[in-house]
Amino acid sequence: MNPITTAPPPTLFTPTPDNWKLAIMIGLIVAVLAMILLPPAVSFWSVGAMAAMVAASFVVNAYRRYYYGGLLVAPAIAVLVVMNIFPLLWSLGLSFFAYQSNQQTIRFVGLANYIKVLADELKAPENWANLTNTAMFVVLTVTTQMIMGFLLALMFAKQFPLRKYLLILVLTPMMLSVVAAGVFFSYYYDPTFGLLSYFIRIFSGQQFILMDNKAGAVAGIVFADAWMWSPFVMLLVLAGLVSVPKYLYEAAAIDRVSGWRQFWSITFPYIRGLLMLALLFRTIEAFKMADLVILLTKGGNGTMTISYHLIRIANEQNKTSEGAAISYVMLFIVIVLTNLYLYIANRRTVEPAHE
Amino acid sequence: MTAITKIQGLATAAGFALALAVGGANSASAEDVVLHMAVPDWPPTRIMKDMFDKEYKPTSGNKVTLDVDFIPWPDFYTRVNASLTSGEKKYNMAVSDSQWLGAFIEGGYFRKINDLIDADKELKKAMDGMHPIVLNAYSTYPNSTPNYYGFPQFPDLLVSYARKDIFCNDDEQKNFKAKYNKKLPCTGEEFDNVDWDLFGNIGEFFMRKKGEMLAGKPADDDFYGVAFQVGKGYDFSTTSVHTFVWQAGGDIWDETKAPNGHAMGQVNSDVAVKALNHMLSFIKYMPPVAKTGTMDIFKSDELFRAGKVALNVDWIGLGEASLDPKSSKVADKLVFGMGPGTKGADGKINHTSQIGGQPFVLTTWNTDVINKEAVGFVKWWLSKDVQMEYASKGGQSAIKEVYTDPKYNTFRPWNRAWASQLDWQKDMWHIPQFFEILTQQQDQYDLAITGKQDAKATLDNVAKFQEDLLKNAGLIK
Repeated sequence: MNPITTAPPPTLFTPTPDNWKLAIMIGLIVAVLAMILLPPAVSFWSVGAMAAMVAASFVVNAYRRYYYGGLLVAPAIAVLVVMNIFPLLWSLGLSFFAYQSNQQTIRFVGLANYIKVLADELKAPENWANLTNTAMFVVLTVTTQMIMGFLLALMFAKQFPLRKYLLILVLTPMMLSVVAAGVFFSYYYDPTFGLLSYFIRIFSGQQFILMDNKAGAVAGIVFADAWMWSPFVMLLVLAGLVSVPKYLYEAAAIDRVSGWRQFWSITFPYIRGLLMLALLFRTIEAFKMADLVILLTKGGNGTMTISYHLIRIANEQNKTSEGAAISYVMLFIVIVLTNLYLYIANRRTVEPAHE
Repeated sequence: MTAITKIQGLATAAGFALALAVGGANSASAEDVVLHMAVPDWPPTRIMKDMFDKEYKPTSGNKVTLDVDFIPWPDFYTRVNASLTSGEKKYNMAVSDSQWLGAFIEGGYFRKINDLIDADKELKKAMDGMHPIVLNAYSTYPNSTPNYYGFPQFPDLLVSYARKDIFCNDDEQKNFKAKYNKKLPCTGEEFDNVDWDLFGNIGEFFMRKKGEMLAGKPADDDFYGVAFQVGKGYDFSTTSVHTFVWQAGGDIWDETKAPNGHAMGQVNSDVAVKALNHMLSFIKYMPPVAKTGTMDIFKSDELFRAGKVALNVDWIGLGEASLDPKSSKVADKLVFGMGPGTKGADGKINHTSQIGGQPFVLTTWNTDVINKEAVGFVKWWLSKDVQMEYASKGGQSAIKEVYTDPKYNTFRPWNRAWASQLDWQKDMWHIPQFFEILTQQQDQYDLAITGKQDAKATLDNVAKFQEDLLKNAGLIK
């Protein structure tokens, strides 16, 4: 990529395929005119065509000026924009309108959807209750998975007979579809057909109903979720444990350092990054929990989560705009949490350097 | 250009045009028409597809194929809803729950069929021959007005499924008589006359612990008296609550009385509260899963087939599996009757219950050719012979000359209860806000069923929500 051989950039009004400035100008003018003059179905695709034209001129420009790095990531960026960023912005736009996907009318309402979601006398308390439940599930499921995953990893870091086969068995739940796991657990907990009730009856003589109160229903869901996802945490932590150099432990052994101290001074610093990664992934996933709730309780007994609520609003009841508003409130919360987390994680890694 | 080449050119052009015309005429006389249809995946639709493939000969001479998407029940609404609202215009016909009519008609997806009925004498005759309650429930929007949208695919209603081996056992008969001074029902006719008091006695009487005697043998597992749907999903408690409220003389919000009929005062009337409490009083005689709020139509059916319950009230649509020894431990021990009712002052039993089943509809984007073929298919489907054959394979029919045919009752053991129970059916709302109303009341009923809230507070919340929503939607003043 020798910059000396590149052709000089075209002047603003030269109509060449690589003149991206001109393409943006034309694109903007045509798009605005199309939106004003043409019916929505046509103007939508006109704007799309203009966006494609601008993108094409960027590509030609990059090709002529040997920006191969840019060209190589272009397909990925195109997919990201079409599949991800565009729908995201589109739904952000929808959240400011009164729109239902099964009706043909649309009306601008500003922040009314957000006000409805956050402050309406009938809806807001429900949304807050669902959000509180979600927070409860996040804390409980992630804590359980981190502890279980961590303990499993410590176990599998050592060599013992049948380790390989046990490891595969432990990893299986993670590979199952959530629906299969959900159906399995709904039978597992069933008072008449279930194994759980069967075992408890041996001692109590009574059929055992786990899911008829909030504590039981939550415990049931948390256990099922932990059963599926602890192996994921284990996998990440195990990768960290394996990467700790043996000589550090040997040195520690020579110094007669206690096992506890070895863990905090040698093991933990190595796996901290991966542990944090597992925590981040699981927190985001737990925040979106709906599948297990639908399969196990249908949201009954105080297990309604905000995601399931959103599915009902946006999918079943077709209240697209209200659904979009809830989604954006959720997205906002997730972004704040994630940034907070990244901030804390970064600060911790920086601190030792100052000492 | 010489004269010869001109002539040659003309001749070629003429020949070409002729070929086109002939080809066009050919294709017009025998077109390939594909009817795309969305249906739930279960026996009533599988049988229909099978009969279509084997027997249907279109009168138009076209080659008609029925391309059916079999969608599992739990996903059915979501998938149909997504297809319709996304604008992909994939389906020409769809099976729809009657309650969805309003939402999808207002959205502009379901086609009004009055013109098709008026233009076709045979179709009109078929529609006129249908039970009026079924026609109103499956076809009309606004509810019970002469604006038609659907044809019955599988009409359905609630019946009692009972264990003959247990109910007809001499010891049980004797003990029941001694305890309640009533005859324990054993035949279908006796089950037709079960009222809720007797139903409660049956529930209490057949609660047996593992090892206690049941019909002359020690029970191999805990055994329960009764079951019916009281689940949180879809409409699995609404169906039961509506049935109890209607039988007690109360009512749900009645859309045919809008805009002056209110939800407040109606939905939470004293009669309705009493009816809900009455319904809740039976949960203690059900398998314990009812207390978790997940006793839906599939669960109660499964428990019954596994031989854990004496008497189950469920849709006929799920009945086939209970007769099949491969899926049912009780296949050879069954007796069926009308669903339980409420005995009035005159001694007659009120059997009013929530109607089930589904119509199928045409969509608005169909071309004339498609509509013509669809109507041809519907006429064939609703004709007597085809409906008889469908019934003989396990379907049900709402067409009078079919279900009054003496042979009809011989097809399935529950058919004897069909005609009499059909007169007692009632439907819930068809309005577009149906799903919101349903979801909210399902949530509230679940709180009552799992014992977190009393009946009064539950119905007050339901009424308040409905009043508010219906006012905002402009449906009531």
